[in-house]
Amino acid sequence: MGKSVLIVDDAMFMRLTLKLMLEKNGFQVVGEAENGAVAVAKYKELKPDIVTMDITMPEVDGIMALRQIRAMDDKAKVVMVSAMGQEVMIREAVMAGAKSFIVKPFKEEGVIKTLSNL
Amino acid sequence: MSEDGISKEPMLEMYLFEGNQLVEQLEEIIIKCEKDKKFEMAAINEIFRIMHTIKGSSAMMMFNQIGSVAHSMEDLFFFIRANQNIQLDFVGLSDLVLAGIDFIKAEMNKIEQGNIADGLGDDLIAEIKTMLIQMKNSYENQNTMPATLPDSSPDGAKPKYYISSYKKPSEEKRLDTKYCVEIFFEEDCQMENIRAYMVINNLQDIVKDMYYIPANVIDDGDSADIIREKGFLICFSTSVSYAEVESTLHQTAFLRRMEINQVDQYPDAIKALYGKREIILEDAFEVDPQPKIETAEVGKEGDLGIGNSRQQNIISVSVAKLDMLMDIVGEIVISEAMVTKNSDLAGLQLDGFSKAARQLRKLTDELQDIVMSIRMVPVSIVFQKMNRIVRDMSKKLAKEVDLEIIGDTTEVDKNIIDHLSDPLMHLIRNAMDHGLEKKEDRVKAVKPSKGKVTLEAKNAGGDVLIIVRDDGKGLDREKILNKARERGLVHKPEHELTDKEIFSYILLAGFSTNEQVTEFSGRGVGMDVVTKNIEKIGGSITIESVFGKGTEIFVKIPLTLAIIDGIEVSVGKSRYTIPTISIRESFRIDESDVTSDGDGNEMIMIRGQCYPVLRIHRMFNIKNPVMRISDGIMVMIESDSKTACLFVDKLVGEQQVVVKALPRYLKKVQGIAGCTILGDGGISLILDVNGILERQLS
Amino acid sequence: MNDYVETAEDTQRGKFLTFSIGKEAYGFEIKYVTEIIGIQEITEVPELPDYIKGIINLRGKIIPVIDVRLRFKKEPREYNDRTCIVVIDIRDISVGLIVDHVAEVLVIPPENIVPPPALKTGFHNRYIKGIGKIGSEVKLLLDCDKLLNDEEIDILNSAVE
Repeated sequence: MGKSVLIVDDAMFMRLTLKLMLEKNGFQVVGEAENGAVAVAKYKELKPDIVTMDITMPEVDGIMALRQIRAMDDKAKVVMVSAMGQEVMIREAVMAGAKSFIVKPFKEEGVIKTLSNL
Repeated sequence: MSEDGISKEPMLEMYLFEGNQLVEQLEEIIIKCEKDKKFEMAAINEIFRIMHTIKGSSAMMMFNQIGSVAHSMEDLFFFIRANQNIQLDFVGLSDLVLAGIDFIKAEMNKIEQGNIADGLGDDLIAEIKTMLIQMKNSYENQNTMPATLPDSSPDGAKPKYYISSYKKPSEEKRLDTKYCVEIFFEEDCQMENIRAYMVINNLQDIVKDMYYIPANVIDDGDSADIIREKGFLICFSTSVSYAEVESTLHQTAFLRRMEINQVDQYPDAIKALYGKREIILEDAFEVDPQPKIETAEVGKEGDLGIGNSRQQNIISVSVAKLDMLMDIVGEIVISEAMVTKNSDLAGLQLDGFSKAARQLRKLTDELQDIVMSIRMVPVSIVFQKMNRIVRDMSKKLAKEVDLEIIGDTTEVDKNIIDHLSDPLMHLIRNAMDHGLEKKEDRVKAVKPSKGKVTLEAKNAGGDVLIIVRDDGKGLDREKILNKARERGLVHKPEHELTDKEIFSYILLAGFSTNEQVTEFSGRGVGMDVVTKNIEKIGGSITIESVFGKGTEIFVKIPLTLAIIDGIEVSVGKSRYTIPTISIRESFRIDESDVTSDGDGNEMIMIRGQCYPVLRIHRMFNIKNPVMRISDGIMVMIESDSKTACLFVDKLVGEQQVVVKALPRYLKKVQGIAGCTILGDGGISLILDVNGILERQLS
Repeated sequence: MNDYVETAEDTQRGKFLTFSIGKEAYGFEIKYVTEIIGIQEITEVPELPDYIKGIINLRGKIIPVIDVRLRFKKEPREYNDRTCIVVIDIRDISVGLIVDHVAEVLVIPPENIVPPPALKTGFHNRYIKGIGKIGSEVKLLLDCDKLLNDEEIDILNSAVE
């Protein structure tokens, strides 16, 4: 039984790509969300083992959602997904409790290792 | 990525689907901004976000040119977003974004066609960068320091060395052990400094004090390079077991090499740092205990009308699946008829069965309705694209034009929508190029200097009517008639030709009364292609015009190709279905009511009007039909411009039929639209009324 | 997966479905045959060449049927209850071939197949891929592809575009 994952990203393409990668490697994608607000709601509902969280999203962004999820559950394991050049935001995320981060464009190996290490 | 073993197909499909969607959204926004002559905050944010997304996805798919163009566009809008009171060159900016859109569209198109995206974005990127620099310069003249993306290192920052003081006040160093760990991260894991920061973060809870080199991992972007070259050195003392230290450290992602050494003393490098430089003690890192739940401002300023929220309750379905669904539902309708109208049941009194059959019929009808409605999409998808065309042409032709769109929520089958785009584009281009006069001429004719093109869609019975209207100079009846005469296209006595018929000459191949061939139209190869494309989807075109006032082009297209109401008739042993909407009436007549002319053409008079009689058995060479007029039935059929009476043996009944195409292997017969399977398993050919009237009447 | 497919094809190779038309015996590769049905009601479609008799309803699928006799310009014959429709499928095109009656499926090893004589005369020679020998009998092996698609049909079909 693989670990359950909630994928959060406003781009359909990214969600699909991550889903394919994770499912291929034994992870179970139990849900998807396209913005932070939906992410928090789904986290509450699904209680996944891991959350992959895109940083830039409309309405409620990744860091806000991260904070809210961590507030609900301090054991939550959230991996931030960012683009290059977002060091400041990643630092903020790490300080807010993100367990790790992956940078776009990412390769399957790195993603799986990161999630497996959590 | 292909080594990953994941099929790239679904990802490519999604990339193109989402990419196209985003690009279209972007185009709508930009055109609106240009029209309104302002860039609302919401629009800027949206543009930024879309470019950011395209950049990310393109990088994942290794479409680097697209990614780079999107990236530079993203940078540009990041700057605009961060410096709101900047002066914007609306026209220049819009043109630039549209150029970017065009590049991305073109490249994605190549990919869609299975070709390589080999376009180079260098020139475009240079232009974008130039604009950004110009903006920064003018901004500097207005203010002090421009805000830029964080990956450009702030200049003039003095290197400060941070030593984190992580001294837990309590216990003495009794059981404390000192460790020195050297860490090398994997080759291209990116942002090594933040990775190092995570190591620090992870160790927080289990160490008494901690020192590391490079020290300024958080703020100094260069530290990433140092770590990449020389590794990350971190020394600390802790009372936890070695095992725990090791497992904590192994949590680090992208670890290439790690050496954990227990030491008695910290190495000289650390001591040196600690001893000589300025030490800035940082407070223990705290996570905000009560995170405020902020709700961001959704782009409420200025309704862009393109909100993301509308996407929430919609899912995207592959058209292939929809087609399969339609096919199966069609088969169900046929099968249902084959069961309930089975010849085995003829003559039997089956009340319970009939009741159940009626219920089944009701449900299949509902199912059919729902599936059909799924395939219906609003024409706005195609209509909105025309905004761009009008805008571009308006500039090129130096004519001011307003595009009015009416009724774009009208829905049409997905299959049909795809074939509408090109014809409509051509019609609009024509209207702008040839219909609308130049400004001076318009003013002379006492018309508003801005030309108007209207694109309207409305339901008309079983069809959808799309009208392209312009208030330009209209068509010159005489000129067209002359040209037609020249080309030998006039087959009727001229005084009998209606305006509609004369105007429809321009739909013929090679027909162009334009002296000048412009880049967009006038070559005379356009209208006939438009007509062919419209006819392919079962539609027709008629033209109306008033010289000096304007022209209206009516495009009639069927609501759907899949299911029609029809009247079944028999001729000899063959059965035909005539679409109900093409039938005006049917009646019995006597031999004596039919008159023939010298050539053997028959006709009848109905209420003072004369109609040609068409015998199906003669048209299609059918054996053993009913020959005597009084034994058969007349069905009056009509298309847009012609009416005739079809002579058939008898009317069998009325029903809804699922249209099936004739096998591709057979050549197309003019007058036969397709076929359908009847309740008894037999096949009925569906008549194409337009086709029949075309072939039989001049 | 690939192995399985190859074996299936292998077992079909060299197997021919034979049928007769008048005195001649013909055959074509069984791999193209999807089914054989008895003659059934054919719906005529106007303006087709005489050898295309029309279309039939095969469990909801509409397929055209060709009378092989007429295709080979032989005397047409009345259909009786021995007349069969052999449904073949080539390159996604399904067509029914009306034959007098179907004989049997024979295995004809490649050694027993010789290429047809290169005659300039003879209408249906161009449809013959080879001549197979079974014992004392000779079967004319047809090229289904050519039977369905040759210039004649292409010219007719081009009117569609």
